[in-house]
Amino acid sequence: MIVLLTGLLSTAVLAGGVLALAAQGEVLAERVGVVDLGVEGLMALGAATAVLVDMKTVNPWLGLLAAMAVGSAGGAVFALATVIMRASQILCGLAMTFLGLGLSATIGHSVAGMPVAATFAPVAIPVLRDIPVIGPAFFGQNLLVIPIYVLLPAVCQWMLFHTRHGLNLRAVGENPAAADAVGIPVTKFRFLYVVIGAALAGGAGAYLSLAVTPSWSEGMVSGRGWIAVALVIFAGWRPFNAAGAGLLFGLVSAIGYLGQAQNWPIAAPVLNMLPYLGTLAFIIVPVVLWKKMRRLMAAPAALGVPYDRSER
Amino acid sequence: MMRFQRFSTATAGYVLVWRALAFVVAMGIVALLLALSGRNVGELAALVARSTLGSRFGLEDLALFMAPLVLTGSAVTVTSRIGLWNIGGEGQFYLGAIGAAAVGLFVHGPAVVILPLMAVVAMVCGMAWIAVPTLARAFAGVNEIITTLLLNFVAELLTYWLTTGPWRDRVTGALVSTERLPVAVPEIWGVVHWGFPVAILVACGLSLLMSRTSWGYEVRVSGANPGAARYAGMPTRARIVAVMLLSGALAALAGMFEVAGTVHRLQGGMSDNFGYLGIVVAVLARRSCLAVIPAAFLMALILDAGIVLQTQQLAATAVLAITGLVLLLVAIADELAHYRPVVAEPVRRSAPGVSS
Repeated sequence: MIVLLTGLLSTAVLAGGVLALAAQGEVLAERVGVVDLGVEGLMALGAATAVLVDMKTVNPWLGLLAAMAVGSAGGAVFALATVIMRASQILCGLAMTFLGLGLSATIGHSVAGMPVAATFAPVAIPVLRDIPVIGPAFFGQNLLVIPIYVLLPAVCQWMLFHTRHGLNLRAVGENPAAADAVGIPVTKFRFLYVVIGAALAGGAGAYLSLAVTPSWSEGMVSGRGWIAVALVIFAGWRPFNAAGAGLLFGLVSAIGYLGQAQNWPIAAPVLNMLPYLGTLAFIIVPVVLWKKMRRLMAAPAALGVPYDRSER
Repeated sequence: MMRFQRFSTATAGYVLVWRALAFVVAMGIVALLLALSGRNVGELAALVARSTLGSRFGLEDLALFMAPLVLTGSAVTVTSRIGLWNIGGEGQFYLGAIGAAAVGLFVHGPAVVILPLMAVVAMVCGMAWIAVPTLARAFAGVNEIITTLLLNFVAELLTYWLTTGPWRDRVTGALVSTERLPVAVPEIWGVVHWGFPVAILVACGLSLLMSRTSWGYEVRVSGANPGAARYAGMPTRARIVAVMLLSGALAALAGMFEVAGTVHRLQGGMSDNFGYLGIVVAVLARRSCLAVIPAAFLMALILDAGIVLQTQQLAATAVLAITGLVLLLVAIADELAHYRPVVAEPVRRSAPGVSS
C-alpha cells in the first residue's frame, strides 16, 4: 500500500510539474490583465526547442534555457500584438497556439520519437529523501521539482501580495486607468509579465520533453497548455493555489497511468480522458456548489480588456 | 493637422485594406522562409496556382474542404453573435461523426431513410456534447472557452477508443478506423457530394434566421448589450442555451458529411482541425453568417495549397503554422482598421492685436 501510494504521488509530482509551471506563468500574465491562450503553442515550441538543443549540446539545462528564450520570444510577439497594438487577446492567443503547434512539429520533425541525449535525471536529496511517501515524491526526483512547487510559487506569492511592485502589478490588472493615473507604467508592466509568463510556458514544455516523457513527438503537449489556463481559474489567480492545482491534476493523470499499469478493465483511451474531465469538473463544480466562490476567487477586473489611454 | 484617432467601429473599407495588407505580409513571410530553405518560390507559387484553382482535382478538393469549413465556421459565428466563443467545434465534429457512423454501421435500410437519420443523430450528439459547457455558462457563468475546448480532447480519445476497440474494422483490418459505411451521401460533381450545397444553404438559412427573425434580433441584442436585453424582457439565458446547442449541431453536421460523404468511415484524427479552423473562418467572416462562405473558400484555398506543399517535402504541419500567422496578422489588421485619420481643429488664437 505504501509502495503504491509512493509511486502514485511520485508520478503525480512529476506529471503535475508541467502544469504547475505553465499555470504559474499564466497567473502572472492574467494578473496584469492579459489572457494568454497561446500557452499550448508556446509549450509545444518550448518542448521541441529543448529537445533540439539537448541533442546538440547534451545538456538539459541549456535545453531548458533555450526553451524559455523561445517562449519569451513568442510571448514578445503576442504582447506586441495585444498590449502594444491592442488586438484581440483571444484571437492572438489562438493564433499563437496554431503557430506554436505548427512550427514545433515542423522544426521537431528531425528528432521526432528519438530519446533525448540527456534528461533531468532524479537526484536524491540526503535525509529528506528518507521521509516515507513524501520523501521519494518530492526529494528523490529531478532538481526542478522543488523550484517548481516551492521556490517559484513562494517568490510569486510574496512578490504579488507583499511588495509594492506586486501591488502595482495587481492594480494594472484590476484597473489600468487608475494605475495609469498614479503613474504606474501600464504597458511596461503588461509587456513584461506576458513575456515572463510565456517564458515559463516554454520552460514547462522543456520540463515535459526532458523530464516527464524524455523525447519529442508531435501532439505530445495534448491539451496540457489549455488545462494550465483552466487551472488558473480553479486556483483563483493565486501562485500557491496554482502549484497545488498542478499537483492535483498530476494526481488525476497518475490515477490514469496506474490504471493502465495495473490492467484495470478500462481501455487506455478512456483512462486518458481523466485529466480533461477532471479539469472540467474542477472549474464547474466549485462555482455551482458554492456561490460565494465566485466573489472570493474573482478574476482580475480588467482581464482581457486592452488598455487605451485615449479612451480613459 | 492630421492625426489618427481610434473609433469604436471599423468601416468595411479600412478592414479590407488592412486585411489585404496582412495577407500580403503573411505570404511574404512564408515566401521568405521558403526561399531561405532553398526552394524556388516562383515555381512553387505557380505549382500551387495550377493545382488548386487551375485543375479539376484541385477544384474538387477545394469544395470538399469548403463544406465542413462553412459548417464549423457557421458554428463559431452563431455563438459570436451572442458574444460567446465555441472553441469546441473539433469535439462536436467528432461526436457528429460518431453519431453518423453509429447509424451507418448498425441501422440498415434505404439511403433515403438512413441519411436523414444520420444527420439528425449526428446533430443530437453534437448538442449533447456542448450541453455541459452550455448549462455551466448559462446558469453558473463559467467561461465557455475553456470548457468547450477541453471536451475536444475527450472527443478525440473517444473516437480513438471506438475505432481501435469496439467498432474497429474487422473486415479489412484498417488501423484506427471502422469498416466502410454501407451508405454514402450521393456525389454531384466528381467527388464533391451533397454536403457542399447543403452547407451553403445552411449558411444562407442562418443569415436569414439572424437578420430577419425576432429570435435572431434577440440573440444579437443579448450579445451586444446583455443588460439592455434583460431590461427589455428578452430571455437572454434561453437564447444562450439555444444558440450554443445550435452551434454544437452545426459542427456535428460537418462531421456527419465528412463521415458519410468524404471519408466513408469513422477514423481517428479524421477531423483535420476542421473544428479549430472554423474559428479562423468565423474571424475572417466578421460575425456575418453569409460572409462565412467566402471566408471558408479562402481557408479551403490555404488547405488545398497545403496539399501541394506536402508533395514538395514540406511537413503537413507547416499549414497550421501558416494559418496561425494569418490569424495573428488579421487580428492585428482588424484592430488597426479602427483608426482613421481626423483633421484636428486648428487651435484658436485670441491674442490681442492680431486680426484676421
